[in-house]
Amino acid sequence: MEMEKKEMASTSSTPISIPEAFFLHLISALALALAFWIAHYIFSTHLISDPSLTLFLILVVQSPIVILLYSRYRTDRHQCSYFKAVARGLLGLPAGAIINAFGAIVLGAPIGAQYFLKTLNWSLVMSLFNIVPSACVFGSSWIDWQRLFAYTKPIGTIDHMICIPAHGAIIGAWFGAWPMPLDWERPWQEWPICVTYGAILGYSIAMAASLVLSHQRGLQHVKRD
Amino acid sequence: MSSSLTCVRLTLFTVAAVAFQIIGLSFFVFGFFPVKPALSGDSGSESFHAPTCYSMGNESVKDLPPYDLQSLYQELSGLPPLFDRLILMVIDGLPAEFVLGKDDRPPNKALMEAMPYTQSLLANGIAKGYHAKAAPPTVTMPRLKAIVSGAIGGFLDVAFNFNTQALLDDNLLGQLSKVGWKMVMCGDETWLKLFPGLFMRHDGVSSFFVKDTVEVDKNVSRHLSYELSKNDWNLLILHYLGLDHVGHTGGRNSPLMAPKLMEMDEVVKMMHASAVMNPDDKRRTLLVVASDHGMTENGNHGGSSYEETDSLLLFIGSKSHATDFPSIISNDVNQVDIAPTLALLFGVPIPKNNVGVMIPGVIDFLKDTQQLRALQLNSWQLLRLLQKQVPGFPCGSFPCDGFSGDQGYNSNDIMEKFCRLYLRSAFLHDSWISTELSRSDSREDKSEIIAAYYEFLINANQWLSHKATDKPSTVIVFGVMSMILSFLIFSISIYSIIQESYSGEKQLSNGIFTQHLDEGFSLCVIFILVISMGSSSMVEEEQYIWHYLISTLNLLFLRKTMQLLQKESTCRFFTLFNGHGKVCIRISSIFTLLITGRILRGWHQGGVNWTHLPDISKWLEQSGIDLHLIQLTAVILTIILILFSLSLLGRGMKIVLVVGFNFLMSGLLVLYHILRYQHNASLPSSNAATSLAQIIYATLGVSTVGTVLAVPWIMPIQISKACCSDRNQNSAVSHPLKIGSQSQYPELIYSLFIIGWVYIGSWCLLQLLLQQPVNSVVTLLILMQIFASFLFFSQRMLQQKQWVEVAVLYYIGMAGHFALGNSNSLATVDVAGAFIGISNYSALLSGILMFIITYASPTLLLLSLVMYISIKNLEIAASPQNVDSGHVLKRILGLPCLVPLTINSILLMAYTIVLILMRNHLFVWSVFSPKYLYACATTVCVLIGVFVVATTVSYAYMVLALRKKYEKLHW
Repeated sequence: MEMEKKEMASTSSTPISIPEAFFLHLISALALALAFWIAHYIFSTHLISDPSLTLFLILVVQSPIVILLYSRYRTDRHQCSYFKAVARGLLGLPAGAIINAFGAIVLGAPIGAQYFLKTLNWSLVMSLFNIVPSACVFGSSWIDWQRLFAYTKPIGTIDHMICIPAHGAIIGAWFGAWPMPLDWERPWQEWPICVTYGAILGYSIAMAASLVLSHQRGLQHVKRD
Repeated sequence: MSSSLTCVRLTLFTVAAVAFQIIGLSFFVFGFFPVKPALSGDSGSESFHAPTCYSMGNESVKDLPPYDLQSLYQELSGLPPLFDRLILMVIDGLPAEFVLGKDDRPPNKALMEAMPYTQSLLANGIAKGYHAKAAPPTVTMPRLKAIVSGAIGGFLDVAFNFNTQALLDDNLLGQLSKVGWKMVMCGDETWLKLFPGLFMRHDGVSSFFVKDTVEVDKNVSRHLSYELSKNDWNLLILHYLGLDHVGHTGGRNSPLMAPKLMEMDEVVKMMHASAVMNPDDKRRTLLVVASDHGMTENGNHGGSSYEETDSLLLFIGSKSHATDFPSIISNDVNQVDIAPTLALLFGVPIPKNNVGVMIPGVIDFLKDTQQLRALQLNSWQLLRLLQKQVPGFPCGSFPCDGFSGDQGYNSNDIMEKFCRLYLRSAFLHDSWISTELSRSDSREDKSEIIAAYYEFLINANQWLSHKATDKPSTVIVFGVMSMILSFLIFSISIYSIIQESYSGEKQLSNGIFTQHLDEGFSLCVIFILVISMGSSSMVEEEQYIWHYLISTLNLLFLRKTMQLLQKESTCRFFTLFNGHGKVCIRISSIFTLLITGRILRGWHQGGVNWTHLPDISKWLEQSGIDLHLIQLTAVILTIILILFSLSLLGRGMKIVLVVGFNFLMSGLLVLYHILRYQHNASLPSSNAATSLAQIIYATLGVSTVGTVLAVPWIMPIQISKACCSDRNQNSAVSHPLKIGSQSQYPELIYSLFIIGWVYIGSWCLLQLLLQQPVNSVVTLLILMQIFASFLFFSQRMLQQKQWVEVAVLYYIGMAGHFALGNSNSLATVDVAGAFIGISNYSALLSGILMFIITYASPTLLLLSLVMYISIKNLEIAASPQNVDSGHVLKRILGLPCLVPLTINSILLMAYTIVLILMRNHLFVWSVFSPKYLYACATTVCVLIGVFVVATTVSYAYMVLALRKKYEKLHW
């Protein structure tokens, strides 16, 4: 009963069609590509040679796009203005960064002055991938956060759009860390390069997967009706 | 489930599986790492007589002064030494291909030009070059042993010689020093480790800095002119490491290779010109240039490929010896042939365990009779070795007289063939000697005899060296099958137990991803470990895998705990801390686990490749903080933490007070030992320290065993339920553990808690005494992890599967094992601690202490299972009162015992298969085999730990049941 109500609430309050979701994801992906392009052609650097700068560029390019776009789909439209959603997205960025940095350090990310900038930028980018969108959309609604991150039960297109790429980024980063201890002596084995690659790869795959999943859900709903 | 497993059947199954595991493991180990029977002692004058069944009395010979012994040897052997001095020049890692070419083709032009002098010596026939095939493992120390002793050692010889690396077997250098040779060594310090105190002068260089390709050789060559001008030595050993370092840094085709070869050529030239060809010096000098092993294209070595085993052997004498039959003698010999050849050339007995054969080409240095005599001596020596290795091999001067079909259970054709071959050559030789006077066509006879001898020698050599390196496949297959069988029994029984205990409750089938993520991942951990074992780098860096997986698992637990918050509270944060202490405890215990885990990971930069990176222990040692202060703090905190955990049980009980006081006394003793003796390192091994350590061992042992035996008898029994709940309200209301609440076996819970606590406490104190000072904090952190996980598991709010919890405890133990600084290489075994409290050296006691130190963490976690069983009293509480005792025991003991056994069985089996698959891998000896020894030791640790847990719990249960019955009768 409760679940159904919630489903009703979430789907009715944020109408988002699949093409719209596709468009949003496309813009996010393009922004990522743009960040890499800027890093390569304007600053003539890339993730391996200067991870901290490149991550910062991704952050600068991606964060306005993500925050501005996702704030449009905030759930509680009646109580929350667009600017408020943007503001909580901005607040969610450092808060999510703390969570991500804690997770990374607990899982074994190196600690030290020379890693501080890298870890900071990396966790901000990760926060952009997993925390910020839902901060914009759900604000401080604990039930929604719990549904997405503790239960991983997305319902509706907007849930899929937030939840699956967020998980994809985390899982990608988790797998990306595996080559780090190996003795291949490659420059990209350094923290946080391969973890970032894994996260971006996981994020991109999950964006596509979320579209497919919400499309399938949509079909099921149609059939059930 | 139609038939459930009874307790007796389960026990029988488990015991059978353990037995299969042990049998399979021992079969595999002895199949894969063959241990050959070796002859002890040194060869003496008896080696110049034909082998008999009776040992020759040669006691008088032993005491002879060196010069007399030398003349005795000469007289007996009939072989006057051809040379007076030997220069043994070892070029580490030089493939014979570089000098001699491959398959009758000369080496390429660049290499030819790099060694002009050596090539000219070879072309003029002054030098004789051979491809000396080295046996794996192609690493320096075993190869040097093979060169000087002629024996092929097994892997276990290397592994079990932590304490002394000295070569104790009979060897060429020992024989030469007996006849009074003076020796000088310059180069790789491995020689100094092998022969401590043997060299008159020495300058060892370390092969530690592999990137250094220049200095390491300069340090050898700078002594050359001095040593050549001094005439006091008989044996000069030069061991050049530079070429091996060039290979390691740049591979075979490194641009540094040609200059390095040129440098070596210069050394050969210098040696030959000034020592061998020196007209002023009357002493005859033999220059032997050898390499210990070859290298692959990338410059690595260790395996058994042709590139690695193809090592060089050059004999450079003073004059040219035209060979009689150069065409039929190939230049492929074995590395072990060096020892007998040199022994025969210098007129000393052949080392006892030699399997080598006199090198055919060198024999031409000798006269006809001497040639045959040399071959005869070599044959006698190999015959003695055959007699030792084959129990039924006939002995006596006519060995094969009585050798017929009826005699031998081992009437295999090979033995008969050896006999026939030996007899034939002996017969030919005898008849040749008897007709010596009237000989006309000696040449033909002689070559026939030589051929006959060689047929015997080469056959015997092949058989003996195969016996040392060959792996009997049937034995190995049997071992693996037995291990697989044991694994199957384990998994079937654990499956049936899990099925039984969870058959009642139907889980919401909401998909494995959301509901059972932690269970799925616990299984994944095993799977990932098995997969990662196939990669040598992952085996080297196993500690990262454990830490990564255990942290991920903890994060998943955190996620699962977050699911709870929904029911407990709506997003207000304060209620979380006010009303819902349980969630708070869960979350804080998970955070404790995560943070302590991260500190543990950073404590030692373990493994192989990243040891140079900074870690906490290095930082503590370098920063100048008083390490002993930290150690003392850790010890005191550990004692306080342990005592606090006991106080949770309630201070009312007398037993608790007695046990706690006992523990405090032992703790103070340990503290005193640390303060008094470990503080000032000036008197580390004084008698008082040793006796104090012995007192601590005795105190800990007596109090632990005493507590375990006594507690079930003393523990007050409550029969009425009211009394029980009363006590619980008094003692357990304020603390989170809620020991014994609502249980029908409160006394069992209490006893197990106290026993488990004593186990943990005593083990921790023992570790604080034995471990290095810097590891005392690690012990404290592991203890914190244990208590944090107990706190986490004791909150029964989630349907946590019990097997997951036991598996987590096992994983924490393994992660802690690496956090203590252990790795999968044998180098990290802490030998220093193994002598604390041992007054005179005993291999067994030190071995036990070494095991206790190395497996501190897994054993601690296994012992803590007793306390875990006491805390998880849910099952017992749920079961009806008068259920049969087997059922209760099965419920409380089944999973805690079977889960560690099963996980270990999976890992052991998988690793066995990996080792078989990797038997030809480059790193099989350096990475995979040491890891396998660790896997075996872990198996031993798990078996002992589970045995202790099972016997303790059953004992306590039996005693209490008996007492209850008795008291009911007398009520």
